[in-house]
Amino acid sequence: VELVTHNMYERRRLACRMPMQKWMINVRVCIYISMLVYMYVHCSLSPVSPVSLVHRLIVIHTAVAVAQAALHLTTQNRMMMLSRSVLSASSRRLAVKAFMSTEAGAAGTMTLNFNLPHESVYSGAQVKQVIVPGAEGEFGVTADHVPLVAQLKAGVLQIIHEEGSEPEKYFVPGGFSLTHENSTTDISCPNAVKLDDIDSAAVTSGFEAAKAAYASAEAGSVAQAEAQIDIDVNRALGNAIGLSLV
Amino acid sequence: ARRKDDDKQPPKMSTPTTFWRLAGMSYMQYVNRAASCVTKALKEPAKSKALARSDFSYNASVWEAGTQGTKTNVTTFSAAGK
Repeated sequence: VELVTHNMYERRRLACRMPMQKWMINVRVCIYISMLVYMYVHCSLSPVSPVSLVHRLIVIHTAVAVAQAALHLTTQNRMMMLSRSVLSASSRRLAVKAFMSTEAGAAGTMTLNFNLPHESVYSGAQVKQVIVPGAEGEFGVTADHVPLVAQLKAGVLQIIHEEGSEPEKYFVPGGFSLTHENSTTDISCPNAVKLDDIDSAAVTSGFEAAKAAYASAEAGSVAQAEAQIDIDVNRALGNAIGLSLV
Repeated sequence: ARRKDDDKQPPKMSTPTTFWRLAGMSYMQYVNRAASCVTKALKEPAKSKALARSDFSYNASVWEAGTQGTKTNVTTFSAAGK
């Protein structure tokens, strides 16, 4: 916003954000003017020599300048500093409030919606914690978690229903996890299988076939990318059931 | 029905990104490939249940100048779109 004004006083007034500051400037100007008026009246009423008049002018101007400076330092700056800290504190509080979720369920539980295209595994279930295999790393979500959107990688999703209970595990090939402000987490995956349903022989043979396909595929082609996907997913499947495929 | 731009491939990206994007795959193709990889690694009976979910079948026919052509039953991806 460009201040289109050449008047220094007006510019100073407009630059003051708080009305108190504007009032303070008026007070300073009034003090200045009243001092000048007093000096003029005093000098004109009493017969004095020009030298002492000049001396008096200088003294009064200095006093006015000192008073202005004192007022500026004690009131304006402090008020400006105060307003700045107040503004930043309140804006900080607002930002914290916006990012912090506050509606935890009974006894610190979170709501879980775990959905597949063909089946809704959990809808509105109250659980203690969910451990999610994010693409950038594994992380856990409990009640009052900060809102988060995470892409999942092939890995194990663990759901802890109660404090200290064994986690319920599902292997997911990918998907997305969205944690909302009200302690609700939506997890959508194309498929989710129990670890008991995974065949270790099929995983090993799939891994070897994928490695061979990768070696024989053209660099940068879709076939090589598909082989890479197969390698990654089979390795993750192996890790889930206790094999270590290299 | 086939659209005019069905033959156009998505643009191949060269900026730093995932390997499947660089090869020209979309996220849907990537995640569905990963899901089919998981399905192949299942034990019976979970495997046949999962494979049955992706079964499909429909009758396709080509219309020309307002008349319907012969109907063919499509059940595999390779026969689809022809």
